[in-house]
Amino acid sequence: MNGAIVVTGAARGIGRAIAERLAANPLFTVIGVDLAPELAMSEDITPVQVDLTTDEGLAEVKRVVEVANVPLLGLVNNAGITRDSRLINMTDEDFSAVLEVNLGAAYRLSTELADHFNEGGSIVNIASRAYLGNFGQYNYSMSKGGVVGLTRALALSLAPHIRVNAIAPGLIGTEMAMAIPEDVLGKMVSAIPLGRMGSPEEIANVVWFLLTPLSSYVTGHVVVVGGGRSLS
Amino acid sequence: MNIHWTEQVSDDWVEIKTELDRAFQMSRAAARAEESFVYVVHSDDLLGRRGSGNAMVATGLLSAARTAAIEGSRKGWTANVIAYDEDADPEQVTRWASWMLDSSGATGELIRIGFSHLGKALP
Repeated sequence: MNGAIVVTGAARGIGRAIAERLAANPLFTVIGVDLAPELAMSEDITPVQVDLTTDEGLAEVKRVVEVANVPLLGLVNNAGITRDSRLINMTDEDFSAVLEVNLGAAYRLSTELADHFNEGGSIVNIASRAYLGNFGQYNYSMSKGGVVGLTRALALSLAPHIRVNAIAPGLIGTEMAMAIPEDVLGKMVSAIPLGRMGSPEEIANVVWFLLTPLSSYVTGHVVVVGGGRSLS
Repeated sequence: MNIHWTEQVSDDWVEIKTELDRAFQMSRAAARAEESFVYVVHSDDLLGRRGSGNAMVATGLLSAARTAAIEGSRKGWTANVIAYDEDADPEQVTRWASWMLDSSGATGELIRIGFSHLGKALP
């Protein structure tokens, strides 16, 4: 199994951990996509600095995949943003921005690259535990719920050639989580049965499982990786 | 009546986003008025059986309703989803949607009218 894997939102946090986990395997050519320039800091990752909400950005990713001249094995749709507020206060701009990045980019990139996949390819969409509902995140929750629907529809339409699954991370120790006030973060962690935040590497491990033949009979599923928070 | 009847969409992203935006506009206005609302979707779309566009709309609305329900629970209004099968009686769907609007006991729920979901994945 030798080929390319595209990871979006690869500059920081969960995306970075996924890209580095994959790049550690010499069989994979990892193409990291992000709007942020930090992407170029790792020499094992081919950087593509683009805006995935534009036609030009999507075309550039497609061009880089073609130039790589190796079979496309995988796509990890991880790029995402938040613009939180209660529904009554949510602006049209914040609603639109989150939908465009979290759902539109994942959908359009998957569609752009679908024809480039090798037989047995795999798409992993990073959703969020917020797809089950989360206060102050109407737009984010809708976008991640949409990602779940996208996962199911693509799993049906791309079978039997390409498998498509999703991961719904809970509270993960990224820069975003660390910016939460300490007392609020403490309450959030206390509600997690496993008693801690997850690490980006723990998400990367599940991505690895879903991208590789270890999960060869799994498609159309959402794996919640949240320390049991969805039960407590 | 704050009932969003989901329109069938193509796989064009602009059309998909427009449908989600239409639901958002209705929901925000309802929430500001502290009124309950209901989304009505096709059961097949919750499992992705009628293409990516329809699936993204249906499951996006289900998640949005769950989040809205949390916010509304503090103010007394509700947000729910009705999913219907292809051969469902429209009047029956309307009755269920109206009933969900009037009921203060259930929120963040998915009511499925028909049989096509039995033995399938939970959304």
